[in-house]
Amino acid sequence: MNVRKVMLARAAAAAIAVAAAFLPGAIATAQKIDMNVVDQPGYVPTPEENQLNGAYERQEVFFRTAEPPGTIIIDSKNRFLYLVQPNNRAVRYGIGVGRDGFQWQGVEKISRKQEWPDWRPPPEMIERQPYLPRFMAGGPGNPMGPRAMYLGKTVYRIHGTNQPQTIGHAVSSGCFRLVDDDIIDLYGRVAVGTKVIIKQAVEL
Amino acid sequence: MRSITSLLAGVAAFACLAASAAGAGADALKTVQDRGKLLCGVSQGIAGFSIKDDKGQWSGFDVDFCRALAAAIFNDPSKVEFTPLSATERFEALKDKKIDVLSRNSTWTMGREGDSSVVFAGVTYYDGQGFMTPKARNRTSALELDGAKVCVQKGTTSEPNVKDFFEANHVNYEIVQGETVADIVANYLSGKCDVLTTDASQLFALRSQFPKPGEHAILPDVISKEPLGPVVRQDDMQWFNLVKWLNYALLNAEEMGVSSKTIDEAMKSQKPAVKRLVGAEGDFGKPLGLSNAWAANAIRAEGNYGEIYERNVGVQTKLGIPRGLNELWDNGGIQYAPPIR
Repeated sequence: MNVRKVMLARAAAAAIAVAAAFLPGAIATAQKIDMNVVDQPGYVPTPEENQLNGAYERQEVFFRTAEPPGTIIIDSKNRFLYLVQPNNRAVRYGIGVGRDGFQWQGVEKISRKQEWPDWRPPPEMIERQPYLPRFMAGGPGNPMGPRAMYLGKTVYRIHGTNQPQTIGHAVSSGCFRLVDDDIIDLYGRVAVGTKVIIKQAVEL
Repeated sequence: MRSITSLLAGVAAFACLAASAAGAGADALKTVQDRGKLLCGVSQGIAGFSIKDDKGQWSGFDVDFCRALAAAIFNDPSKVEFTPLSATERFEALKDKKIDVLSRNSTWTMGREGDSSVVFAGVTYYDGQGFMTPKARNRTSALELDGAKVCVQKGTTSEPNVKDFFEANHVNYEIVQGETVADIVANYLSGKCDVLTTDASQLFALRSQFPKPGEHAILPDVISKEPLGPVVRQDDMQWFNLVKWLNYALLNAEEMGVSSKTIDEAMKSQKPAVKRLVGAEGDFGKPLGLSNAWAANAIRAEGNYGEIYERNVGVQTKLGIPRGLNELWDNGGIQYAPPIR
C-alpha cells in the first residue's frame, strides 16, 4: 500500500487558534469553509460560479521537475494540480482537497476514466452524512461533475464538482475536485496509466 | 593575538594571515549591535521590493529581508534604518560603510565581485528578462512571437538579450526603441509595438500600474539570468555568513513548514531538522555571534521566505508575480537552501 494517511489535526487546530486570536468568530467561519461544507446533490452551478479567477484559474506556469511530461502532481497544501508539460512548464489547475483527517499522499496511476460518473457515496461518507442518497446517476447536479479519473485501487478520484466555491479549500473526503471546464480539459489531456503524485504539507 | 605575535614572530605572521582571512573579526556585527540598529541600503522606490509610503514607512520584499536580519540580531524587526540608494551609488555606499548591508534588487555578477570589496550573500530572488503581450493575442510562449514588434529600452542589456534569443530561436521580430521606461510603456500602450520586454519583476510592477492590467499577459519565458540578492563587504566572513544563512534559514523554514503562524509549534517539534532551525538543538547561533534563537526570531517577526514573497510581490498583491523560478526546488522552482546541520 503506497498510500499513507496523513493526519494534520494539530496544524489545523493551531491555525484556527491563530485565526481566532485575531478575529473573534473566526472559528465558526473556518469550520464552515474548511470542514462543514456539505454535499449538495442536485445543485447546478451557474457559469459565473464556475469561472475561477486569479491563482486558481487554469493557466500555464513555469514548473521544473524531474517527472516526465504528462505526469500529474498534486500540491495539496497550495491547492494546485499540475500537469507537467515539456520545456519547464505545467498546466496548473485550482483544486479542492481532502479536509482535515482526509489528507493523504502517495504515488498512484489513473486506473479508469469515466464521463458523467454516477455517485455512490462510500459507507464511511454515509455514516457521517446519513441524509445523502445511496446512489445518484451521472449528469448535471451530480457532485462528481462531468468527468472522473480513478486513482489506482483507492476510493479516491480526481473529479468535477457542482460546488465551485470549494476550489481552494480543504473540504472533500480525500478526493481532488476541479471545476467542470477544468476537469473536462484535464480529462482530455491524460490517459489511463498516467502517473499521479500526491504531495502534502510537511509535518512539523 | 598581539602579545603572542610579539613573542613568536613566525607564528605571528601566520596568526595575522589567519586573522585577515577571517576578516576583521566580528566588527560588522559588533558595530550594528553597539549602534543599536541595522543600516540597510534599498532602492529609491520599486513597488513590491522597496518603497516608502506617505507616512515614511518602508515596505517590500527587500525591506523585509533587512527587517528579518534586524530580528535575528536584536529580536526586534524595527531596529533598522533604510537608506534609499541609486544604482550608481549603491556599491560605494556599502564600501564606504554608510550601510551594513545592501538589499536592493542588485544582480549578482562576477564583475561586481571582481574588485574584491563586496560579495553577494546568496540569491533572494531569481529575476530574468521576460515578455509582456496583450492577452488578446493569445500567446503562451515567447517562441510564438514571430513577426512581433518589440518595445525595448535603448542602451540596456535587454536589447542584445532579446536579439540573441529571437535569432537563436529563428523568430522574426522588429525592435522599437525607447529612451526611458516611460517611453517604452507609452509605445506599448499606444500600440506602436505589441511586445514589451525588460526584467520580469519590472514587467509585473509596470503592469500593476496599467489602466487595465488584466488585459496583458506576462509570458513564462525568462531569457536572461538576473539573480538578485543581498550584498555585504568582503572583509567580514562572520557578517557575510549571518546574512547568507539568514536567507537560507528563511528558505529552509518554508520547506519544513515553519512559518510565523507555526513557529510556536515548531519550537516544540521533535524533528531534528526543525529543532536545529529554531535553536532547540545544536549551537548554530554561536558562530554567527547570535543566540540560537536567531532564525526563530526572524521567522516569528517576518515569516518564512514564502510568506515574505507572497506578502510583497505574490499573486494576491497588486504586482501578482507567480512564484515561478522562486518556488522551492521541490515544488517546481530553483530556490534551494543548504541544510542547517
